[in-house]
Amino acid sequence: MFICHCGINIGGVVNVPEVVKYAMTLPNVVYSEDNLYTCSSEGLSKIKEGIGKYNLNRVIVASCTPRTHEPLFRATCEEAGVNRYLFEMANIREHCSWAHMHEPEKATEKAKDIVRMAVAKARLLKPQEEPEIEVVPSALVIGGGISGMTAALCLADQGFKVYLVEKEPELGGMLRHLHKLYPTMVDASEGLNNIVEALKPNKNIEVWASTVVKQVKGFIGNFDVSVQRKNGETANFRVGTIIVATGADVFEPVGMYGYKKYDNVITQFKLEQLLKGGQLEKPERVVMIQCTGAREEKGRTYCSRICCMTALKNALLVKELYPETDVYILFRDLQTYGREYEEWHRMAQDRGVKFVTYALEKPPEVVAGHDGKLTVDVYHALLGEQVQIESNLLVLSTPLVQHEDAKELSQTLKVPLGPDGFFFEAHVKLRPIDFATDGIFVCGTAHSPKDTAESVSQALGVASRAAIPMAVKRLRTEAITAIVDESLCSGCGTCVKICPYGAIQKDEKGVARVTAVVCKGCGTCGASCPEKAITMRHFTDEQVIAQALAALGRAVA
Amino acid sequence: MAYEPKIVAFLCNWCSYAGADLAGTSRISYPPNVRAIRVMCSGRVDPAFVITAFETGADGVLVTGCHPGDCHYVSGNLKAEKRMKNVRKLLGLLGLGPERLRLEWVSTSEGGKFAEVVTDFTEQLRKMAPNPLKAEVNPRAPKNTKDVISKAVKKTNVQYCLECGKCSGSCPISKVNDAYSPRRTVERFLLGFGDRVLSGTDLWTCLTCFTCTERCPSDVRYPEFVRACRRLASREVMEELCAHRGIPIALSRIMTNPSIKQERMAWLPNGAEFSQRDDLLYFVGCLPYFDVVFEDFNLELLKIPQSVVKILNKVGIKPAMLSNEKCCGHDLLWTGDLENFERLARTNVAEIKETGATRVVTACPECYRTLKKDYTELLGSLDFEVLHISELLSELIDKGELKYDVKLPMKVVYQDSCRLGRHMGVYEPPRKTIAEIPGIELMEMGRNRENAVCCGVNAWLSCNKYSKAVQIDRLMEAKATGADLLVTACPKCQIHWKCVTSEKLPVNPEEVTMEMRDLSVLVAEAMHLT
Amino acid sequence: MEASKSVLVIGGGIAGMQASLDLASRGLKVYLAERTPSIGGRMAQLDKTFPTMDCSICILAPKMIECFRHPNITLLTYSEVQEVSGSAGNFTVKILKKPRFINEERCTGCGVCAQHCPVEVPNEFDMGIGVRKAIYVPFPQAVPLKYTIDEEHCLKCRLCQRTCLAEAVDLDQKPEVVHLNVGAIVVATGFELFDVQRRSEYGYGKYQNVLISLEFERLLSASGPTGGHLLRLSDGRIPQRIAFIQCVGSRSLKGGVSFCSSACCMYATKEAILIREHEPECEVYIFYNELKVFGKGFQDFVTRAQNYWGVKYVRALPGEVVEDSKTGDLTLWYEDTRENVTKSIKADIVVLCPALVPRAANKEVGVILGLDLDEHGFFKPKDTIFAPVDTKVPGVFVCGYCQSPKDIPESVAQASAAAARAAEVMALSAGKEVY
Repeated sequence: MFICHCGINIGGVVNVPEVVKYAMTLPNVVYSEDNLYTCSSEGLSKIKEGIGKYNLNRVIVASCTPRTHEPLFRATCEEAGVNRYLFEMANIREHCSWAHMHEPEKATEKAKDIVRMAVAKARLLKPQEEPEIEVVPSALVIGGGISGMTAALCLADQGFKVYLVEKEPELGGMLRHLHKLYPTMVDASEGLNNIVEALKPNKNIEVWASTVVKQVKGFIGNFDVSVQRKNGETANFRVGTIIVATGADVFEPVGMYGYKKYDNVITQFKLEQLLKGGQLEKPERVVMIQCTGAREEKGRTYCSRICCMTALKNALLVKELYPETDVYILFRDLQTYGREYEEWHRMAQDRGVKFVTYALEKPPEVVAGHDGKLTVDVYHALLGEQVQIESNLLVLSTPLVQHEDAKELSQTLKVPLGPDGFFFEAHVKLRPIDFATDGIFVCGTAHSPKDTAESVSQALGVASRAAIPMAVKRLRTEAITAIVDESLCSGCGTCVKICPYGAIQKDEKGVARVTAVVCKGCGTCGASCPEKAITMRHFTDEQVIAQALAALGRAVA
Repeated sequence: MAYEPKIVAFLCNWCSYAGADLAGTSRISYPPNVRAIRVMCSGRVDPAFVITAFETGADGVLVTGCHPGDCHYVSGNLKAEKRMKNVRKLLGLLGLGPERLRLEWVSTSEGGKFAEVVTDFTEQLRKMAPNPLKAEVNPRAPKNTKDVISKAVKKTNVQYCLECGKCSGSCPISKVNDAYSPRRTVERFLLGFGDRVLSGTDLWTCLTCFTCTERCPSDVRYPEFVRACRRLASREVMEELCAHRGIPIALSRIMTNPSIKQERMAWLPNGAEFSQRDDLLYFVGCLPYFDVVFEDFNLELLKIPQSVVKILNKVGIKPAMLSNEKCCGHDLLWTGDLENFERLARTNVAEIKETGATRVVTACPECYRTLKKDYTELLGSLDFEVLHISELLSELIDKGELKYDVKLPMKVVYQDSCRLGRHMGVYEPPRKTIAEIPGIELMEMGRNRENAVCCGVNAWLSCNKYSKAVQIDRLMEAKATGADLLVTACPKCQIHWKCVTSEKLPVNPEEVTMEMRDLSVLVAEAMHLT
Repeated sequence: MEASKSVLVIGGGIAGMQASLDLASRGLKVYLAERTPSIGGRMAQLDKTFPTMDCSICILAPKMIECFRHPNITLLTYSEVQEVSGSAGNFTVKILKKPRFINEERCTGCGVCAQHCPVEVPNEFDMGIGVRKAIYVPFPQAVPLKYTIDEEHCLKCRLCQRTCLAEAVDLDQKPEVVHLNVGAIVVATGFELFDVQRRSEYGYGKYQNVLISLEFERLLSASGPTGGHLLRLSDGRIPQRIAFIQCVGSRSLKGGVSFCSSACCMYATKEAILIREHEPECEVYIFYNELKVFGKGFQDFVTRAQNYWGVKYVRALPGEVVEDSKTGDLTLWYEDTRENVTKSIKADIVVLCPALVPRAANKEVGVILGLDLDEHGFFKPKDTIFAPVDTKVPGVFVCGYCQSPKDIPESVAQASAAAARAAEVMALSAGKEVY
């Protein structure tokens, strides 16, 4: 029993020494100590020491959530000769000290209960093995925009086979519609051509255009992917990893600021296309409204990151084309972050672009003026007065939003979408381009709004992440799986129906059998089996019930 | 040479105007050169009226009032006497001749006397040269307002404003008057609402102290922008806001006339040595004039140039000096009168060149900045180096040529004036000069060097309750250091502070009044030269 | 062809560690060089991270330990790269291992030596507000957990040597030169802080209760000098109002750097929430100019800070901070640009958010590796958009803050990007697939 202070995160609320003492009173606990930081090298050494000295065959660490350090502690136990599944964690931080910061006595009592529950389970733990699987050294990249292509190319150059699936008839994604890319002002089509040309001759990349992913089965190292082309043609691939690079859509602000009501109200995206095609007629005065449909109080609360720079870039391009044209940018907070984007703000100021700050609470109003002009009436938040600006071209900077069909893809892959609609990564800070599901990764605007440079970085990033399992060729898989006691199975087929992964099938004898490598250990089969024929390794009925009884203070048998 | 002098006369309503009437009624003739202006009392005659009259070309000014003791308003005429004495001194300094201003007592019944005075005065003036001044009082504003503004916006980085408000948060005036915000002023210009600002008082409120510039992340040089816009702004508004009735600025303007030959060396102490040509020239500044205008403050301002000359002589320097030294033009430049500023600049530079001086030293931070920076900007690089007296003294101390003979055991606190400090970056030489004096303990105010606070007024503008608040706050800070003496290198700082402490104070005088001294005067004391 | 299977990573912060782990996990050998005695970098100094409010060291420590334990990673801490020659696929590197004066094999990290050491100096890890001994580990979770003797302050009293049970002190230790052969190099040198004393109007260095953000973070941290108790350094009082000043030295055309450090609005929000958690009675003001909320989850984080935690955001950069010398209390002067009024507010503590600037030492690294730097000291990528982690030297890559301002998730993603490119280039130069 190793009880962690976690600095003052636990020790500042829970009386750790008291819990240490209490632990010694529990059955089978032969040794108990406290550590300042059990996860530190010092702490880990102590665990190994304790195992050796006291001949421990079960280890409990009472500290933070298993979601942080369980793998670490498990590995430590294994190094000391104790099977990693004979280890259990008691969460007395997230579930205790942090949640009851102002009630230390109650927190300490609860910590004791939690420890008791852990002991109850630990006594019933059995060693488990993690079977190894082979990893197919090929990847599926869903989405043929700059992110998808970059990832595909990088993986291909590392020697892996890549299936690049794109739903449109040609590659390129958003880049096809963009004019110039900041900050280098390279032509988007030039950048696009370069990478498409690099992709074409690459023997490791198989491009499937006009194709969508229909079904994905399997698990890391062995995904079975079914795709379908627009013309009906289908195909199946076996891949080791999957990369989601499906990009994003541009929000259409129907009903806002006269969009679709007046002809001369367009989106920033439309302006980009007009500039690209050389079709922008000389406007006398352009007014751009930032945060249209973004950073709202409810709904699209997020900032779409790229609109401020796009507006600045396009404002400068308009000024270059038509030097006498006035450009106004109405904004809330100018997102000119990073190494050089602030300089774009300065450049725009230099060229006489006018900036007006407005506040969320008092957005601008647009009314029709004379001769087809519009009047934008905005409360200048920093001058404290209403300002009227006449304009004959209103440009609305709208956010990037998730594709309509992303929901379907998220269900196909069983990966989540976050509260803002974009794909949700495994860990916001330290695993930003991994999904929680092993073997699936995400990059580009499918993850969140970002510009081309940032998409390329993420795409190269996933090329590294995906390469790891494919490079080592063999992986250890989950030990926490279901197993059927055939002698008890009545062949009712309930488990087969409810398994979300199709991991249980009836064999030729009509008895349920689990494909361990597909099984994710969710336990829903075990909970539904009327004959109690299914055992969930490491989460057996006995273990779970023992914890419940221990929670309620009933003696553990 | 036969010219007809123009005389402007101010006649008091009760006595002298009636006296003049009587002359007419009695058919007594006198030369038609006088133009009379009726005022209720001779005490009404503002020195500024007289100066304006001369500036606009009057050859003589006559002020008449009741005989002493008879003043309808008790003693207005005595006040007039004192004031006109003062103005005469100014006229003397300017070389126009104090005799151009006459003050006479004329009673209701003295019609004859009035005619006599006018006849005599006219004759006297006929014998003198005509008044060389014929200037327009108000400078002409350029027509291309938009152009001037957009040039100024680019030159002073105003376009880069981030609207962060740091300027207003630093501005000593904004802190006490939150209707004034440099940021909002800038934003108005950027959005095209500049006309509102040009016709308002905001442009004249800026102290041009450069605190905002010092801290602005976008390097917006707001005071320079203000200065450029003042050219375009309403002169009427400016005149209303100009303290001391615009007299100091009028004097600067008068000096632009090439015919002005001043008599301004009377302050030189006995035995002072100076030359017509020397390597080092001492640029005195307007102290002889301020000494007259601010007579009542008893600041002994002439001690400053006297100390400087004594110090220079002691270390073996016989400085060159300009006997007709013109005002450097600082106040004209900062109130938007570029034409007249340029005239002064060119004259001064030419005169300095004549002396062959390679170094020019001045004890006034405003002259220092103007000569060193603004003249260079206007005329290109100068043939001479410009130093502040503290820089020269510091140099001499380093070389071992300046020795302090007297111990002055006291605690001294030093004010960094805006022009010497933030404008020109001279922080350490004055401190070194002071600290070397034996016995001196040099204290520092919390807000010192680049964070020092302005003395509250610039170019005589917008001296109001807000400036007073700034001044009192700063003096309290100085007093709170526990120092016995407040030393400044800028005569204007001293004048402004003396002004506020001479009034009825809203705070306990104990917390505010301090003995003040100019740096040069202190140094002269320590060298046993006073 | 051993050279083509190993990579040198310069910098042991989160970016360097992520790149190292990616490369090591796929079977390549990694040498991770770090100039301080421990890996961990800036993240180790943080209390929590935005916007998730994860305990920083808690999510970092497993990575640190993985770097330590991974059979493919060799840590070269307290080391500096001196010379690099060669080209992609075959670089020869000379690394100087500075002497710790401790035998790393013997040291157990027990800490008895530090208990006896008589010398106390300001602790760099705590940004100088905490102390350490001349024999020290930079922080409790240091990896490797080996002590180091700070030669500059050591008195050579040998008390540590006498009390060390493992006989690990070796005062005669000499610097060691390590020669390596690697196929690729990844540079991840991170950032340092702008010298806020240059903005003298805020009084840092003069006023005891004006702190910079990283100092304040140490104050909030459980492993910091006050054990995470929020109190004023001047008098130990619990603060009732704390003010943050953003953009000190950032986004400036003079007196600072022109770029936006891109993380300060968010980390100030984070610290503000921590304050409100620690001391619900303490008011928090954040004085900002433009609120940078461009990242994933950023806007929601700020909204939560405002609405739930009551953090007050004022759109104004204060003109100055003045101190009441008797009490140490501070007054900030600012123009609230939304309300159009200039006013002052008192605060118990003022936290300055300085510009985060590339390390001055990057210049040297640039010379050693033949890299170009921009005017700020960031390493120039080959192409900002399409080759963001490549440099002008094939085989040398950059990632993390030293490439451009960014936060932790972006550094992690970019570190993986550099790893991918390193692997790719090594594969191509070796003429075969790398795995």
